[in-house]
Parts: sequence; C-alpha cells; structure tokens
Amino acid sequence: MAGKFVHQSIKRIEDPELITANVQFLDDINLPGMLHAAFKRSDYAHARIKSIDVSEARKLPGVIGVYTAEDFGDYVKPGPLQVPPPTAIKGATYVARTTMPIAKDKVRYAGEPVAIVIAESRYIAEDACDLIYVDYEPLEAVVDLEKALQPGSPLVHDDLPSNEAGHVRQERGSWEQAVKEADLIIKRKFFINRNAGAAMENRGIIVQWDKQAKQMTIWCGTQSVIALRNQTAARLGLFESQVRVITPNTGGGFGPKINTSLPDDVLITYLAMKLERPIKWFEDRRENFLATTSERDQVHYCEIAVKRDGTIVGLKDFFYHNTGAYNPYMMTVPLNSQTHTVTNYRVPNFLTEFYVVFTNQMIVTPVRGAGRQYGVFVMERMLDAAAKELGMSPVEIRRKNLLPANAYPYYTSIIGQDFVEGVLDSGDYPTAFEKTLELIEYDKFVNEVQPKLRAEGRKVGIGVACFSEGTGVGPYEGARVTVGGNGKVVVTTGYTSQGQAHYTTFAQIVADQLGVDVKDVKVITGDTGYFGWGAGTFASRGITVAGTATHLAAQKVRQKALKLASKILEAPEEELELADGVVRVADIPSKFISLGELAIIANPMRGTMEPGAEPGLEAVAYYGPPYGATGAGAVGLILEVDPETMQVSLEKMAFVHDCGTPVNPMVVDGQIHGGIQMGIGDAFYEELIYDENGQLVTASFMDYLFPQATDMPKKLVLGHMETPSPLNPLGIKGVGEAGAIPIPSVFTQAVENALQDTGVEFDRDTLSPSRIFTYVQQAKGA
Amino acid sequence: MKLEGEHVFNGPREAVWEMFYDPEVLASALPGTQKLEMVAENEYEGAMNVRIGPVSGSFTGKLVISDVVEPESCTLTVDGRGTPGFAKGVGRVQFIDQGDGTTLLKYEGEMNIGGSLASVGQRMIDSVAKTMIRQAFEVLDKALEARLAAKASGSEVVDFKPPSETEFAAAVAKDMAGGLTKIPEVRLLMYIIPLVAVLVLLAVLFRGCSG
Amino acid sequence: MAQTVKINVTVNGRQYEREVEPRLLLSDFIRHDLGLTGTHVGCEHGLCGACTILMDGEAVRSCTIFAVQADGHEIQTVESLGTPEKLHPLQEAFIEKHALQCGFCTPGFLMTILDYLGDNPNPTEEEIREAIDGNFCRCTGYFNIIEAVKLAAEKMASH
Repeated sequence: MAGKFVHQSIKRIEDPELITANVQFLDDINLPGMLHAAFKRSDYAHARIKSIDVSEARKLPGVIGVYTAEDFGDYVKPGPLQVPPPTAIKGATYVARTTMPIAKDKVRYAGEPVAIVIAESRYIAEDACDLIYVDYEPLEAVVDLEKALQPGSPLVHDDLPSNEAGHVRQERGSWEQAVKEADLIIKRKFFINRNAGAAMENRGIIVQWDKQAKQMTIWCGTQSVIALRNQTAARLGLFESQVRVITPNTGGGFGPKINTSLPDDVLITYLAMKLERPIKWFEDRRENFLATTSERDQVHYCEIAVKRDGTIVGLKDFFYHNTGAYNPYMMTVPLNSQTHTVTNYRVPNFLTEFYVVFTNQMIVTPVRGAGRQYGVFVMERMLDAAAKELGMSPVEIRRKNLLPANAYPYYTSIIGQDFVEGVLDSGDYPTAFEKTLELIEYDKFVNEVQPKLRAEGRKVGIGVACFSEGTGVGPYEGARVTVGGNGKVVVTTGYTSQGQAHYTTFAQIVADQLGVDVKDVKVITGDTGYFGWGAGTFASRGITVAGTATHLAAQKVRQKALKLASKILEAPEEELELADGVVRVADIPSKFISLGELAIIANPMRGTMEPGAEPGLEAVAYYGPPYGATGAGAVGLILEVDPETMQVSLEKMAFVHDCGTPVNPMVVDGQIHGGIQMGIGDAFYEELIYDENGQLVTASFMDYLFPQATDMPKKLVLGHMETPSPLNPLGIKGVGEAGAIPIPSVFTQAVENALQDTGVEFDRDTLSPSRIFTYVQQAKGA
Repeated sequence: MKLEGEHVFNGPREAVWEMFYDPEVLASALPGTQKLEMVAENEYEGAMNVRIGPVSGSFTGKLVISDVVEPESCTLTVDGRGTPGFAKGVGRVQFIDQGDGTTLLKYEGEMNIGGSLASVGQRMIDSVAKTMIRQAFEVLDKALEARLAAKASGSEVVDFKPPSETEFAAAVAKDMAGGLTKIPEVRLLMYIIPLVAVLVLLAVLFRGCSG
Repeated sequence: MAQTVKINVTVNGRQYEREVEPRLLLSDFIRHDLGLTGTHVGCEHGLCGACTILMDGEAVRSCTIFAVQADGHEIQTVESLGTPEKLHPLQEAFIEKHALQCGFCTPGFLMTILDYLGDNPNPTEEEIREAIDGNFCRCTGYFNIIEAVKLAAEKMASH
C-alpha cells in the first residue's frame, strides 16, 4: 500500500537539527539551582546490611543530604508490577517480588543501591559515596539456575519457600504422541548467556518540583512516559495531571529504558519534592552494566521428534530462565521464547515448559529481541542436529518443514506476552527462504566456492536460518492529529522515540491522508503534557500500533475537512480532494480552500455550532489489535574461521525480511542494520559474566566486547518482501527487533560448517575464539 | 581466583617464621600499607592503599593467622573492604626446611574480590596479584638478609629500609612490562629501532657531506 | 572550596578563560562549563568515541583528558561544522545515507571522520572501516555510516 509519502524513503525530518547538535539529550539539560545525585551501591551480591555509616559523607562540603532506607520510612517498599501476571495461561504459577528502590536490611544483587547522595555537583556526590561505610554480613550467592532450585539452596527472598519465581507449561497436540510416531528422537542442551542493551546514552532522570504550582516535571529518556507518570503520581499522592513526563532526545532505548519504579525515579522524585530543588541523576557506563536491567540467561533441554525423511513430528523444550533478584517484568521474556520456537515451521506437537528462577544477579527485563531469539535458536539448532543425524542438509530439512504460504491465519495454541493465543497473521516463509538462498548464492558456495577454498586449507562456512518476529502487540496506542491555523499539522502521541524516525514516519502517514507536505507535519512524542494515554515503546509496536492510531486519527480529520469544505465550496464530498495543503474540487482546482483557513472556520468564536459537531480540524484515535502482527524472514551467512586464532570474519550476509508495508523503506533497512549489530554481538562478542559470588566481572567496554565497524559482515545484502498484515489498514508489521533475532542461530551453524572436519557442535549461543578452540579440542579428543 | 606458588628464602626456618610474625615486616612487604597492628593473638588489623589499573582506593581489613603449627605451617585469612570493593582470601602457607640453610615457602589459596575491583579490574587482577606477591618476596628477601646480618653482628638495629610506595609501584610496573620484552616481536623491535636510528643518522650525515 | 587552576582554551575559534578543578574532565568542561552539549559522553573510559573532539586538529577522546591539559590548545567540536540551514558536506552525507538514528554517537563520528578525511581524502571501504573502528554505534550497525563517509569524501573532494 503506497501513497505519496507512505512507502517512500523520505529523508528524516529530524536530522538537520539532530546532526548539528541543535537538540537536547538528557544530560544536556541544566536547570537553575539543580542538584546532582549519586548512588552508593552494594559490592556484595547477597548480604545482610548490619549498619550504614553516612556521618562522614554528610559532612563533606557541597553535600546536601545522604539518605538510606531508614530515612524514607514507609515510602520505600517494593514497586508495582511492570506487566500483569500471566493469569490467562492455564496452570501458570508465579510469585511477584518487585524491585526495591533502595536496599532495606538485605542486598540481593551486586550494584543494588544502599544509599543515595544529593550534592551540588556530580563530582562531589561521587566523592561522598566513597565516604559511606557499610557493614555487610556476606551471604552465599545464588548464581546457578539449576542449583538455585535444589532444596538447601540459599534463598534470594527469605519469605519464599524456594527461588522459583514462576512456572509455565504450554502444549499443543501431544508430545507423548509425537514420541510414539517418531522414527528418531534427538536431544540437546543449550546455554543462553546474558547481554546488555548498551545504548550509547546511559540512563538518567531530572526532576523538578514547582512548589507553588504543585507541579512536577520529569525529564527522562524513558520508553514509557505514561507508566512513569502514573506510577509517580500514585506514589506521591498527586493527580496524573500534576506530573508531566517529557522525553528529551534519547540516545537509544533497546529495552532497559522501558522500566519504571526504579531506584532513580522512585527516590529522586521524592527528594526533589522534599528538597524543593531540581535534581539530576545520570548514570555512568559501569553503573549501566552493573545496575541497569539486562537480559537472558537460559538453560534449555530440548528434544525433537522426526521422521526419517526429516518431517518434524514434535518438539519439546524445557528451560530455566534467570530473572535476577526481582521480577517486576514477570514472564515476558520466557513467554517470547516459548511463542517463537515453532512459528516458522509445521510442528504438530509442541510441549514447552519453563521455570523462572531468582538469582543474586541483576534483574532481567527485555533487551532487543526480548527472548524471541532463543525460541528461534532452539528450533534452528534442533533442526541442524536432526539434519546431521539424518544426513540431510540444513536447507533440505528446512524446506521440508517451513509453514506454507497458505497457512494463514495460523493459530499457534501458545499464549504469548500479550496474554492471547499467538496467531500468525500473514507471511510467506518458503519464498523468504528461497530468496535468501539465492542472495547468498548458496548452491554456488557449497558446490564450487567452498570446496575450492577448503582444498587450500581455509575454513569457510555457510549457514542459513529462518525466523519470525511477533510485533505490534496490544494493548493499544493513541494519537491526536490537529491542523493549525497556519495549515500545518501537529501529531501528538504517548508513544516515545529513541531514534526510530517516528518524527518522519508518522508524518508520512498523516501527510498522505491530509494532502500536506511531510515537512509540514510536526510530530511530538513522549510528552504527557501533550498526550496522556499509551502503553510504551516495546515489542516493535511503534509503526504498527501508534502508526495505525495516527492513520485513523488523520482519517477522521480528513473526513471533517471534507465535510466542512463541501459546505463551503458547495460541492459534494466525492468531488473533493486534499492536496497541496488545500481542499479543492478535483476537476476545478481553482475552487479551493486552504486547510489552515478551514481549521480557523471550524473553530467559531461566536454563534452556534451544529449539534454533535466538534471544533477545529482535530481528532483523536486509538488502535488496539486483537493480537500482534508477525514479521518474518531468513538469513544466510558466509564466514571464515582462522584455524590458528579461531577469529571469525564475516564475509557476506544476506538478510530477507518481511514487515508488511514498509512506511519508510530506508528506515526499515536502518532498523535491520542495527538489529544485525546486536545479533552479531549476541553471537560472538557480548557477554555479561557473573562469577560464582554473583560479581559482575564485565562492567566496562574493556571486558564487554561491543561490535565495531570491522566486526560487521564485509558485504550485506538485504532482500525485501511484503505480505501485508490484515490486522491494520496500512498492512504494517513491526521490524525493530528482526535484525537481532536469527543471528546467533545462523552464526553457530556457519561456524560448525566451517569446522565441519572437526565434527564440532556448539551448545551455546555465544562463541568466542577461545570457546571455539576449546570445543574443537574436545571434539577432536572425543 | 586461585593463588599458589613458592619461594626460597636464604635463611633458617625459624628466622623466616619469626619474620612473618613481625607486623612491621609484613607491612613493609606491601607498601601502600598504612598500618598493620596486632589486636589480639594472631589477629591483625590494617589499612592499605590499593591501585589496580583504573581502580584505586583505601582498604581496611583483618588478617587472622590460624591452624598454627610452629614453625611449619599456618593458615592466613584476609578480609578487606574499602571504596574499591572487597577482597577476601584464605591461604595455607608452609615453611619447609630444605636442610641446606634455606627455607622453602609454599603457599596455596583462594581470593574472592568484589565491587569495582571485580567489575572493572578483572583483567588485571591476576597479573597484578602475582606481581605484587613476587615483589613482596623480594622485599622480604632483603628484610631477612638485614635481620640475619644484625643477628650475626649482634646489633639491635636492623639495617633495612623498605621501598617507598612509588618505588614499589615502579618495580611492579617494570616487572609487568618485563613480561612484554619476552615477546619475540618486541625484542626484535628493540634491536631494529636503534639500528634504524643509526641508519637515519648516517643518511643525514652523508647528505650533509654531499651538500 | 576546592583548589582551582586558571586555563585558557580556544574552542571553535573563540577564546575562553576559566577557573577549573584539576580533576575536571575536558568533556564535562566543554559540555557544562561552556554549554557546548553537542559532544556526548558514552562510557567515560575512552572506548566508545562518543566524546571525540579535535584538539589542535587531531581527534582525541575528551573523556580521558583533563580540562587543565587543554590549557593553551585549540579545540574544535561538532558545533563548528554547520547549522541546520547550512550543513557541512559530511553532515549532508550522513543525512542522505540515513547514517544516524538516535544521533548520540554521531558527533563523535563526525569529528573522527573530519580528522581522517583531512589526512586521507580518498579512502577505500576497508580503510573507512578501520578509521571508524574506534567509534561505537548501537543503532545503525555502521553500514550506512560507511556509505556516508564515501559520499562525504566525494562531496568534499569536489569542493
């Protein structure tokens, strides 16, 4: 579906201001009289707090106050749940232990705040932290997922009988039956490690309390202004309208910025009111690694039941999922893993079960991909294992089992993070797969290129993988479209932006409906002063849900404009068109009225209005899908492994994706590029490592390896497909996380292929040169 | 992390054992130590400055000597906390009489670290710990020599001046860099650079002459 | 009151005289003391490159330099490149190729590339990758940035 602007690669409207540094990011904002906060954080992953001595810190010149849990009294208590519990899933059990804003009596993860300092400058505040002496009684830390559930394990939460935070079991068909029908059962175990969102801009918050107006203003690069506003207002006993949350330009979100009721927003809002001065807190990179949420850490036990000809009869996936010390985000991540395990293939019998486990590590909340990639990893790796046993190629076994193009809508029987059964709305996986094979020149590589290079002793390998991405889930988003007296249009929405080009893509959608230039549409996102309803930026739902709401609101405005213009121009609505900023008679373009004039006429200063009429050319619309739209695609990767150093260089990647109608193809490609960087990080570089005492030992870019320009594939080819979603008028699906999802799967397959002569098989989603070396040695020794 | 190793002291076992029980000597072995005082039998409390890569700060801690089998072996338990984090360790130390007037000291232990030390200093901890231990032994060697000399000459005063914090840090740095010169490429560079310099100098001189 | 030192720094052609604490980072000085917030701080340990500025024409990391070390030197930051009405060819190229998304790392890239293209006005793709290897980006995957540098090199060569 294309219009004048939708489906065009319009250059971003926000760029000239952004690239000349004519905008403000959070830390660029300085308010008169502003104070600075710093947190004293626990060095221990698990310990009882015996005493905290802040006397010296309080005396440091420039320190306004030093506060511990005691100083906050009843205000300090576990925060609200960020997502509702999975009551929709039959048999699901869970406990809720939500985030403490500051440690009281006990610390449960290394980095948990035990005190907060407010001072005249950030430097002084950090100095004061060094003067706070905490007496801890260290306790044994819980770090191993499986050991944590064994009787006798230390407990992260003493009031619970165990470290089990939840349990979900979902089944489609019957696994038992599958076992009976199968010719072969193959078992594997997989380890999935933890990664950070690692946006280039760290987290922060500025809070200002106007005592006279009784108004609080919060600046925060949050992915959910509405949740932040509502939770803050509730906590402080204010009306929602007394709290305004504004997102400045935000330097990347990727998931961790969705969280609210964190130590920073809970304590700093309170202190800003108490001290009657604005307070800023801005995290440093070590704190971001240590004390901002991260994602993953799963152990999977999988079994696949297949027939001799490669047909999948069933799949069983049993896994443990690490939620860290608290579980405010409930089961979103493991549910995503469950729902994405079998969404590309025909799997008549599927049993998936997980236990969520508390550990003395950082809290787990979604990071780009949000668990989807592990469902995909399980399926892709099990297919590879089955292919190996059956003597089939990875391509053959996938061709055999991919869902056909006429399978839609496909009811998965598995309930996902939006608490409804996952339904695949549309797609064409076989075509995406074949297109990938074409773009990566699979046959040529396997038959000609690879044998030749192998004869020279070079370890080159190829991998292919399919994926799907559940996007655009509910509950809803909303938008208001308003035509100004100047004929230009303002769009406001509660949705927030972290660089995804909403200022351009939403403008494109509106410009198409109202016949204005895309540059004449101003988009305001993430400011509760303008729009107070919405759920937040997550699960790749911006363009799909908020974009559709914008479209619907623009349509309403279009209808209003046509109706009013029809009266004024004395022509029937069917003969009118909106173009060039005016409403005109299509055949007599000289008979027109500008949108600006119409807007003014629509808001009479005196007189009467027709009953039921609304003033102005303005409309609000909300959109909530019945279930999410599913994007999908496939990826092919050619790489080379240095036989001595085991360093991997990526030669070529072909990535085919289908996100329905691309509102701005250039922006869609950019999202995939970014996702690929994170996927490559996931597969080969990034790892948050905790030692046996729960200490994070990779809290800087020195140890947490961040993929750089030379780590990207030398050649990247993108393929595009469009199977529009039937769920919304423009046929849009989300794409924000697509790039990240299939990479670990295709990477491990390709490295195994490169080192085929060693027979090595990897059971983890993150490799490294030393790991590859170790596994190869083991394979040779075996 | 695991810590283990051994060192040969040039002296009888009793002298080595006695030296270890002297808090002043122990303190001097690790410059940066602000104080180390006995608070109870076999229990010491101390304070020291630590610098490991980008992490620095002061530690206070307790050292407990237990399972004492004089003069053969003992267990050292260290529990230090400070602004850079914490360090906790247990080590078993053995003093073995080699029969030729020398004493072999063997140690084996485990160290747990946390806080900034662990999260940012991880890659350096291992090598810095080993280097510090090596340097400490060098200091102790000299201290032992001085003690034995004083004993031999019958004087009360032990002529031993422990290295300053900066001297110690320099020695540690040199020790660590010394590892670098063992790399063949670096060695080669060390020959090539002066060679190139000489060639350049000659070239300049010749040009000057022909000018 | 902590001890301060007087420094004289020229930033984007303008002279500034200020009293600063010896431990004040150059990045904080530029951003908060001088109000030039275009230079961003991503890691504060010299790895991500977001804080890259030019000091006497060379790209440096302002987060691992003290303000006092800039005394008597010339600093150039992203604000000197262009305005929304008159963009630098490098900035034009970035916009043309969609080489920025959230824009946080971009100033660092611009200064790094400015320095690099000054020394090497006609780089190969491999050379470009190596040149920007010290700048981290989480949004773009670097692909479009590389294209932008190629385009910028062309634009700047024809000037």
